[in-house]
Amino acid sequence: MKLSTIFALLSSILVLFVILPVFSTFTTQFSDLNGLVQTFQDYDVWRTILFTAYAAFLSTLFAVLFGTPLAYTLARTEFPGKNVVSGVVDLPVIIPHVVAGIALLSVFGSKGMIGSISPVKFVDALPGIVVAMLFVSAPFYINTAREGFQSINPRFEQVARTLGATQFKVFFTVTIPLTWRHIAAGALMSWARAISEFGAIVIIAYYPMVASTLIYDRFLNSGLQASRPISILLILFSLSVFITIRVLLWNGRKNESS
Amino acid sequence: MKVLELQQVSKRLGKFTLQDISLSIGKEYFILLGPTGAGKSVLIEIIAGIITPDTGSISLNGREITGLPPEKRHIGFLPQDYALFPHLSVMKNIEYGLRIKGKKNKFEVIEISKKLGIEHLLERHPENLSGGEKQRVALARALIVQPELLLLDEPLSAVDLKTKEKLMEELKRVHREFDVPVVHVTHSFLEAGILADRVAVIMEGKIMQIGKIRELLSDATSREVAEFVGVKDLFVELISQLE
Repeated sequence: MKLSTIFALLSSILVLFVILPVFSTFTTQFSDLNGLVQTFQDYDVWRTILFTAYAAFLSTLFAVLFGTPLAYTLARTEFPGKNVVSGVVDLPVIIPHVVAGIALLSVFGSKGMIGSISPVKFVDALPGIVVAMLFVSAPFYINTAREGFQSINPRFEQVARTLGATQFKVFFTVTIPLTWRHIAAGALMSWARAISEFGAIVIIAYYPMVASTLIYDRFLNSGLQASRPISILLILFSLSVFITIRVLLWNGRKNESS
Repeated sequence: MKVLELQQVSKRLGKFTLQDISLSIGKEYFILLGPTGAGKSVLIEIIAGIITPDTGSISLNGREITGLPPEKRHIGFLPQDYALFPHLSVMKNIEYGLRIKGKKNKFEVIEISKKLGIEHLLERHPENLSGGEKQRVALARALIVQPELLLLDEPLSAVDLKTKEKLMEELKRVHREFDVPVVHVTHSFLEAGILADRVAVIMEGKIMQIGKIRELLSDATSREVAEFVGVKDLFVELISQLE
């Protein structure tokens, strides 16, 4: 048997492993179309999904604002402890998210280091949800943006400086325009990851409910039949946003190269 | 008249050391000649302000520039791959230096493009240009901001022999017509022989000898320089033919 055939077989197993549960969620729901229609008309469900998308948007905004300088520094600068900082960036991916929630609660909780002095309330509030989302999704943005910065030849920036541009101007007129696709893709990944977060959010802010908490809550109280339609709605909503942005990015790329 | 003066410039980069480089360059076409890894590119990056020297001083037209960032030096720099901005058209590439200073001027862009024979390329993107066209665009981009000195890092290494001949003529013409002193880095005797008013031979981070190409060939001051230039008998012949 050829190596390519073996690889194709093994790859198919993994692809099926991912597709099957999602596909099964949809097909099972077809036997209860009435339930899906009812959920579709449920104002509370839509409000929760839109609230989740909004919280994820805020989290992504912070990830871009603070993560871009960090990604650039990691891509362009050598400094002592760089490996440690890189490790810290990846930490949220490694630790269990419930543990992340507990850690965040100890900082942003009413008796925590920041929560005790901050005028902003984090526990059971939007800021708490955003903080939890940011914690788990920032690595996705930082690592993608970092790859983008690393892919640019530093010569472009050096030449721009010899033409009279300050470091600041070079960053906005050369570096960002050359990396915007990585930045946009990273932001999109970060947003998608934030929307799907549950473990950290449920510890710091069970209320107001985000989509994943609502699905969990309905599952516990009313079972699979009540929670599955919301899951489908969340999948469809996230996918449509994801695909729309991807298509826009792809069209932007085509227009640029033509 | 001295345009560029380097005094005892040193830089350590890992195992490589650029040692006590002292140079004085006038309004001439100056070539830094040396084998690969000699430190030529490090030296022009120090002059451009991209690399900071450990010790020594650099002045340009009597102005101390050692501590200045690249944007305050008024030195044009053409890297080996020209580094044309891929996200900008040729027009916007050339205009870049003016635009960031708020002096956007289409007329100047067209004028310099005509001088370099690239006005028909202005709407194109760098990816659609040949090696020779890229070089002309990079020259236009560097020259439009009227630099006091032009640095060229192996500008002819990526082109075929026929284009190389044409581009050498072009570089000589640019030096004359734009009245700009040039420091050109190369490992090629041919380029040095055809283009240089004076040559500095650099080997293992040290300047070995400075002079006209004929002086290097007839009067090498060290065994290393003699060996480096001596094997090029055909080149000696070429020089005498040219003269």
